[in-house]
Formats: sequence, C-alpha cells, structure tokens
Amino acid sequence: MRVGIEVGGTFTDLVAVDGESVRTAKVPSTPASPNRGAMHAIDAAGLDPGRIEELVHGSTVATNAVLERKGAAVCLFVTRGTRDLLLLQRHDKEAIYDLRYRKPEPVVPRRDVIEVDERMAPDGRAVRVPDRAAVAELVRRALADGNYEAAAICFLHAYANPDHERTVSGIVRELAPSLPVTCSSDVTREFREYERASTTALAAYVQPIMAGYVGRFSAALAERGFAGRFSIMQSNGGRMPAEAMARNAISALFSGPAAGVVGAVRSVAGAGYRNLITLDMGGTSTDVALIADGRSELASMTRIDGLPVKTPVIDIVTVGAGGGSIAWADDGGLLRAGPGSAGAMPGPACYRRGGDRPTVTDAHLVRGTLRADAFLGGRMEVDRDAARRVYEPLAGRFGMSVEDIADSVIRLAEVSIVRAIQRVSTERGRDPRDYVLVPFGGAGPLHAARVAEDLAIGTVVVPPDAGVLSASGLLLSDHVHYRTRTRRLAVAPGSMADIRATVETLQAEARDYLAGLGIEAGADFDRVLEMRYLGQAFEVPVSLAGLDLDALRAEELARLFGEAHRRIFEFAKPHGDPVEVVSFRVGVRAPPPPMPAMRGPRANGAAGRRSAVLTERGEALEAGLLVRAELGPDPTRGPLLIDDGSATVYVPPGWTAARDGNDNAVLRKEA
Amino acid sequence: MEVSPVDQAVITQALIAAADEMGIKLIRSAHSPVVREAQDCSAAILDRKGRVVSQADLIPIQLGSVTHTFRACLEHHPLETLQDGDFLINNDPYAGGQHLPDIFLFSPIFLDGVLIGVTATVVHHIDLGGGAPGLNPDAGDVHEEGITFPPGRWSVARDWNGGPFERLVRANVRMPEATIGDINAQFAANAVGGERLRGLCRKFGADTVFAAMDEMLDYSERRIRAAIAAAPDGAYSGEAWLDDDGAGGEPVPIRASLTVRGDSIAVDFAGTAPQVATNMNSPFASTASSAIACIKAVLTDPDIPFNAGAERAITVTAPYGCLVDPRPPAPVRARLLPSYRVVNAVMNALAGAVPDRVIAPGFDTTTVSCLSHKHDSGYNIYLEIFGGGYGAGPENDGCDAVDSMLSNCSNIPIEAMESDYPFFRVEDYSLRSASGGAGRQRGGMGFQRIYRILDDGVTFATYGDRFRFAAQGVFGGGPGAKAETFVERGGQKIPLKSKQQFPLSRGDRLTVRTGGGGGYGPATERDAGLAERDRLDGFGSNPG
Repeated sequence: MRVGIEVGGTFTDLVAVDGESVRTAKVPSTPASPNRGAMHAIDAAGLDPGRIEELVHGSTVATNAVLERKGAAVCLFVTRGTRDLLLLQRHDKEAIYDLRYRKPEPVVPRRDVIEVDERMAPDGRAVRVPDRAAVAELVRRALADGNYEAAAICFLHAYANPDHERTVSGIVRELAPSLPVTCSSDVTREFREYERASTTALAAYVQPIMAGYVGRFSAALAERGFAGRFSIMQSNGGRMPAEAMARNAISALFSGPAAGVVGAVRSVAGAGYRNLITLDMGGTSTDVALIADGRSELASMTRIDGLPVKTPVIDIVTVGAGGGSIAWADDGGLLRAGPGSAGAMPGPACYRRGGDRPTVTDAHLVRGTLRADAFLGGRMEVDRDAARRVYEPLAGRFGMSVEDIADSVIRLAEVSIVRAIQRVSTERGRDPRDYVLVPFGGAGPLHAARVAEDLAIGTVVVPPDAGVLSASGLLLSDHVHYRTRTRRLAVAPGSMADIRATVETLQAEARDYLAGLGIEAGADFDRVLEMRYLGQAFEVPVSLAGLDLDALRAEELARLFGEAHRRIFEFAKPHGDPVEVVSFRVGVRAPPPPMPAMRGPRANGAAGRRSAVLTERGEALEAGLLVRAELGPDPTRGPLLIDDGSATVYVPPGWTAARDGNDNAVLRKEA
Repeated sequence: MEVSPVDQAVITQALIAAADEMGIKLIRSAHSPVVREAQDCSAAILDRKGRVVSQADLIPIQLGSVTHTFRACLEHHPLETLQDGDFLINNDPYAGGQHLPDIFLFSPIFLDGVLIGVTATVVHHIDLGGGAPGLNPDAGDVHEEGITFPPGRWSVARDWNGGPFERLVRANVRMPEATIGDINAQFAANAVGGERLRGLCRKFGADTVFAAMDEMLDYSERRIRAAIAAAPDGAYSGEAWLDDDGAGGEPVPIRASLTVRGDSIAVDFAGTAPQVATNMNSPFASTASSAIACIKAVLTDPDIPFNAGAERAITVTAPYGCLVDPRPPAPVRARLLPSYRVVNAVMNALAGAVPDRVIAPGFDTTTVSCLSHKHDSGYNIYLEIFGGGYGAGPENDGCDAVDSMLSNCSNIPIEAMESDYPFFRVEDYSLRSASGGAGRQRGGMGFQRIYRILDDGVTFATYGDRFRFAAQGVFGGGPGAKAETFVERGGQKIPLKSKQQFPLSRGDRLTVRTGGGGGYGPATERDAGLAERDRLDGFGSNPG
C-alpha cells in the first residue's frame, strides 16, 4: 500500500492506494505538532501502518518555522568586512512612499555573525587563505558563547571556488561533530552574495527543525509498525527520501503548492493534456502555475517573508484572492476585493463565527453560485441571510442590488486571478489560448470558466477529487534532485566541449546523489542553461530537453537563446552578438510506480432540487443542478452547478460540461 | 462615457501591471550595472493627452516629472503631429528634465492609425560625455556636465539602429556599448507597454480605455484631496540647510511656505538661497516632484496610485534664479542634494499641520561614489548611489542603510562589482553601528564602504552632503552621525570633501561613510527590550 499525506494549514489530506483501490481522508490539522494530524488521517482512513510500503509526505513545517521565526539558533561565518550582509540586504525599499519602512527581518541576528579573515577573487583565485589555527580559535570561542543548533558559512565568491568554505566547515565539524553545517556553495553555486547568504542562513535555520520533525514522525510511525520507505516533497515538485530531506530542509519550503501542481499535471495527463495552467484557489489566496509540455517550469529564486531563497522552485505566482477575501469601498470610491482576508477565523459572515465583513464566499451565496443547502456537499451549515446582510451597505453605496454588487465582487476577485495567470503566461511570452485551465482547491472550480473566458482559454478540466489533489500529487511525484553551478562560458565553437563537460559532470553528480540514497534514476535529465547577452546581468533559462548534447553546435545554442530572449523581451539582438552561459541547472528524476486513476464520488442519491436561480452579470439565470456522477459523456449546456463533494463547479451560460474517460469534468466554451 | 466598476478595476489594474512589467523588463534587459543592479530607472504609461496615468514604483523623483518632461516635447511636436514609429527624447534640465544622465524616452502608441497613449522610460545613463567620466564635480555649467538632448522627435527606423541619432549618441559618450544597450532596453520596455496598451484597447474598445484613464486621474486626485482636506487649514513654514554652496562656502538655506486651504496645498520657496556656481542646483521639475512626493508620503496612504491627477491639488512655485529654480546654464548634476532639503523643509512645515504623521529628518542625501579607470582601449566606469539611515518615526526606529526617499537604488553586489570592475576590491561593507540618532525611537544607521584600489590611473568622483550638518532628532531625539570620506595612503589619512574628484593609485584604501537618521522622542524613554537587543547586537546610538 502507498500513502500520500499532505498537511495543510486547515486540513490534513490523505490518499491511500492499495492495488486498484483508492481511499481518501480529510481531517483537521494539528498545527502545534503536525505529525499528530497525519496519524489521525491514517486512523480516519482505517489504515494499518504496518501495511504501508511507501509513505510520501508534504508539510509546512519548514515554512512555518520561518514565518513564525521558530527556527534553530544559527551562527553564520562570513568573509571579513561583510558582517552586516543580512542587514544591509540590497539597500532598496519594497514600498517607495512609506516613510516608516522597515526591511524584512533576517533569521540570524547580528550577534551571531562571525567574520573570518579569508578572501577569494571572482575568478576563484585565493587572495587570502584562512589560517587554520586562527579559525579553530574563532570557532571554539563562538561555540562556547552561544547555544547554537546549526552553523552556516557564506564566503564571497565561494560559487567560483568553495575551498575556503570547505576548510572552515571541516574545522567546525572537527570541533563540534554533532553540529549541522551548511555551506553556501552546497546550497547554491550562484553569484550575488546577499541572496546566497540569505538562502544559506535559511537553510541552516530550518534544517534542525525539519530533522527533528522527520525523526519524531518516523519514530511514531515505527512504533505503529511502519517499516516502509518514507519520502518528503520538495519545492521543485519532486520528492526526496526523508533522511536526505532532514539534511536539506530548505528544499521543502514551498512543498505544499508544489504537490498541488504535480497532482494537477499528473491527474489530467491520462486524458492527454500536456499544456495547462493550474489554478488552486483556497480561503486566503490563489496559486497559479504554467505547465508546458507536461513539465512545470522552475524559478531560480523566490522569497519567503521578504527574504530571498535561491533554490529551484516550481514557478508559482500567488495572489491574495480567496474565498475569505473582503470586499470594500476605498476613500476614492473604488470597489475593491482583498487583499484583506477573513481567513479561517472568523471567516466569511455566512459561517456565523463572528465574521461581519462581506467576503467572496458570501458573495457566492448571495449570487446563488454556492447554495446553503449543499455547502461542502451539505456537510457544513451556512447562513445566506447573514451573507446578504453584510452586502447591504456596499449595495447602498454603489446604488446596486445586493446580487449585482456580489457579482461585481466575484468578478473583481477573478480579475486578480487573471492578472496572476498573465504573469505566468503573456509576460513570459506564452499565449494562454494554447493551454487548458485546471482548477482545484475549494474555490477554483467555481471561478475557472469565467477566468478562462477573460483569457480566451476555451477548455477547463476539473480533475476528480479536486479537494485532495495535493495528497495524490505526492504519490504521483518523481524522486528529483537538482544540481546548479555558476560557470561563465562564451557560446562559441571552442567552448562547446566545456559546456558539455559541465552538464555531464552535473548529471553524474545528480545521479550519484540519488544512487547514494538507493534510488535508481532514469536517463531523462532536465538540463537548463541560464544564458544572457554579454553585458546583461539577468539570465534567460534555455532548456536543452530532448536535444542531443553531442551534436549541439554553438550556433544552434545561440539561436535557442535568441528565441527565448525574444519570447520574454520582445526583441533579440542580431545574430552573432556575443552570448554567454552563466549557470547550469541539471535535474535527474526517478518516476514512481503507476497509480490507478482517481474516480469521482459515486452517485450518492440525486440532489433534492434539480434547478436553482442565480444572478450573474445583471441577469437572473435558472441553473441546472447535478452531482458529479450524473455528468455524462455528452456535453450538457450551462448554466449548471455541479456538486463535487468538496467543491462546486460552475458552468456559465455559453459553456458546456461533459465527463471524459478519466472522470475529469471537461468544460468547453461554445463557439 | 460611464465605465462599470468592474471594467474600471480591470483597466486600472492592467495599466498599473503594464507599467510594472515595463520596469521589470527594462531592468532585466539593460547592460549597465547602474540600471540592471542598482535599478536607477523608471517606467510609465501616459494617456493620449500626454498625462501619466500609471507608473512602476521605481524612482520617485524621476516619476514625478515624466508628465512635465513630455509636455516640453509637445511644445515642439504637438500630439496631432506624432506618427507610428516616432520616438521622443529629452534630458534637458531646463526643459522639464532632471539632470543630464536621466534620459526620458517616449514612444507614441497607435492602434488602427489612432494615438491611444504613450509609453515612457527613464534611465540614469552611466556616461554622457562632459568634462569627466561618469560625474564631473567641477563643472561650471551644464555644458561641462555632458551632452544635452533637447526635447525632440526622431524616427526609430530612420535615426536609430545605426542611423544618425544613434551615431550622434555613440560619438559623444565614453562607454558607447553600455549606453546604446541601455537605450535599446528602454525601446524594448516601451514596446512591451505599447503591446499591453493595444491589447486593452482591442478588448474593451479605445473609448472605454480612455474613459477609464480619465477616471484613474480623477480617482487619485479625489483621494489626495480627501487627505489634504483632513489636515487643518493654515500657513506653515519650514526650512533646511545644505552644508555649503558646493565649494566650501557658507551654509545654504532652503525655505518652504505651505498654505493648506480646504482640499488643496500651495508650496512656495521664497526665501531660499540664490542659485550656486556648482552643480548643486535643483531644476524646477526636480523641486516640484520632491515637494509633491513629500506631501503624498506624509499625508496619504501608500496605496494611492501616483499619477498626473495626484498633482492637481498641489501647486509649487519658486523665485526664478534661486537654488530650486535656477537659470541656465547653471550646472545641476547633484540636484538631489537640494531636492532632499526641499523634502526636509516641506516636512518641517507639515510638522506644524500634522505632527503625528511626520518622521524625524533622515540622512536624506544622495552620495554618489564613482570610480573610473582609463585603460588602453577606453574607460571602465563604476557608479553607485548611496543612501543612509532613515529618520525615526513616532512608533518605529528609522530604517538602516537604505536609499533615501526620492530614490530607490539597489546596491551592486560585491560579487558583481568585482567581476565587472577588476581595478578595485571591496574590503568592507558594513553598518556604522553607532550612527543612528538616539531616541525613544532610534534613527536609522548609515553604513561604510571601503575600496582597495588595485591599479593605477583610477579617479574617484563624488558628491554628498551632511559632512557639516547632521540629521537632527525631533521631540527630544538626538542627531544622526555625519558623513565622511577619506583615503588611506602609505599610513596617511587624507580627508576628502563632500564634492570632489581625487586621483587614486594602486594600494590606496578609500572609505566612504554615510550618515544616520535623527531620533524621535527622548532616549530615556526607550523600551528596555529594544535597548537590550541593541546592546547584544553591538548597536549604540550616535554620541551626538
């Protein structure tokens, strides 16, 4: 039996696969000790841990450690003269007109930063070699003073030559064998010292927390008889064995959203969809990602709580539009939706937990796209009158009916989602019309068709069991490992051998790393070169997927770069303008065994009413009501509301819905 | 024409997003570190009447004058004469521009033969000729500061890409590849904005977009006016001082008189010192954008979109020939120094109207650090803009080591600098741990940068201020530390002036130190927990 358990902020989801049978469970999360919620999920699904051969886990432990500043006490060793690296940051402001601006707070305070007398030059030549005795003395003093739980090292130009970092980490390990040590050159081999130091400090900061969590969870599982393989999801959409993750926790920072994307990609792959935009809308925010040819794109940098993290992350754009987003009128008389959110507590007014501000979820009740008698499949009671009441003041202010103002608020939330999708598509030279939209999360399927329409996307595919998609994404994910290296090489016939050799070295390193963990990798590598025109400072990723490296000529590589540059910047320089490779990223993967297709809920008694009235764009519409299992293979015309247990699918007028052979609900815009 | 609230929101968001996208793509495709790392550049979208409707939040002082810089172009080339494929350029400080390095580039955007708007980018270019590479602190007039491109219209097809205008630029600058590359990045960003603008007009119809643009201007105006109306009516005055006239002379005062009446404000600079002979004059466009930026920051929430509508409630006047509205050909390269004292004087006046909304004076000075190296095949020029500590607020310590209010330049990573400029090495970049003004809330700290020079033939050029007058505290808070710059050579310490050029040779060690912000409230009232935290981290406050 294989089991995926995803611990989210509110719910812990489980998917268990045993032969051809699939079981799911959803239980409340236990934020104080997340592994307890995970155990509850195992019990709720009636599973015997002793029978689990493989457990894949996703959790927000690392993320929360940073957001709540509950990570380890870290001492950070830096090059002499750069003690304040984490406080100086990049000298700029996120809000230019804010007189009371404060920078994001680093995770290592100044008192724990230690300068080492060493220096490298940009070409990797040692300018000043660290004195071993002096370093040993420095380390001894530092460790005597502070109760450190981890050490981090980030020296200038270590991306070019990590020797000094290795010397110092060796000394720390000698003197404190149990102290975990993280070197910047092991976390990311790329230039720009603040971003690399921030990543290194964060890596050291979350590492003991993750190791402790994995240890506790493993022990609790073992006590219940579990003896299978245990792996954990990474931000890049692949997983790693838990014991390796305990040493490389930084790569788990954004694992939750990544699992959802993998779940979406793999769930619709069976029906042949390879170009898609995922839309995960929850209570407070919406995540979107673009998938071209079945592969999610990776971003080389992201931020957490304002702090840069330079590790490969599935390229996800998040906007503050969710079911709990609050509608309001600003002092210039503009109607707004979000970014403020009522969250889970007090939540929308219709929950009757004390919420008194109008939210997007309330707007759906008012408008009629959510029904009080079928909320979460009828498992949760909500108050439509309360929702109407909180919308009355706004309706009065704009001289509109309550239904119309509610409809406007929903459309504003959709505008933010459309913006997010444009950021991953048009702004990167991708035409959204070439993609299908795949919504999941509680609110995604309610908005997807209208969002698609605004982007001229003609097809929306709602996978079955959209509510536990992240948990099934865990089981569907590959084991993945990435290696990166900064190495500047001109794109010219003379350097192609070097480029090939660098890629091959990274391939071998990545494969050996997985082999060391007992995992045999496939022959299919992700190979991306970060390239630019000579003189530029930002690189454009160029994928070498599917190319024969041995036959690749300099001209061809320059041409591929020119195309990628044009796609993003709408111009390319004349052919022959010098181009360089700046860094290399190579990933290796080992796919999981196949998983039986998820099936939607069986028809569990048809709904009592067969139609309902809703208001959209100033019109009252009579919408047909269906439960998902009733949807047939022939297209049914909207307006329809389809009840999917954990989510409602809205099919507007002008759209049709049908069930495909893989149990997806497929919505199509009528010509 | 009435635009529905939803369409209005969609178009507003899309225009702001398009300006942001222009800014990001400008930075990402530029060549010079001053643009691609330091981000000394801006982007905006103007409506078909030439008014800024949306802009990327980059450099406030550049953004504040886009409308004016374009208006000067229109005086020579009216809107109805513009054609698809034209571009307009202006860097003339005496025709709505800032200082010469800031080149404003405008692209009129057409759809089906109709002008639907204008996209604009501004970049601080690394070198535009003049009497010294990158920065000529000794310039006696604007001509010695570099080449002026007066407001003018050109054709991309005819004059750029090897055409006569491109060749003119190439022939007059010291690093032509970088300059042409950066202007190309401006063209590309303008094109991206144009594409987005056309897309919007195709989707909603041009008339709807035009009406929504009008409403964006009215909306910002309404919100600014609402904020002004909440401030008490009356006449308020404030002043601030520059160290000297740029040549070591007497301190130079800048005086602001504010009149708040109903929902509008009038600012006048009568009583300000006459213009000076050095480059410390503020062209009127800089003065006006500084005053407006300060009023907006003090009175309004940061979320009000800044556009031409925001300026309607505020009028700015100054006597012609004074420091903040000089006569040509006075040099203006260091115009941000007087511009910051404009901010200080206006904030000082606003303290009389809304004492709970102002902050203490910060370091509020642009310190330019420019190192140029002449070698056999040309020049290599490094230039970076330094801020310092912010003034403390009523409830917060001032931000440490950050660019000042009118600008928002990033630092250049040491690892990038040392790759691009092999003639020096950075030995130290750290906070000045006792430079923030003491107070219940501490002033922000300044920082220091130490360069080791690795080759002969290097020249340092700089301008700065607050070598003499520190940022003062308010309501009992103490002053921040002053700035200083010096060179260590053969065991000797050579102090440098705030504005000067200085030749350096191999082995020299150059230290640039920027100052701290003023404190807020008496230090005796500082929270014990904060004081303990400062002690553990090795932070003190400026001894005064």
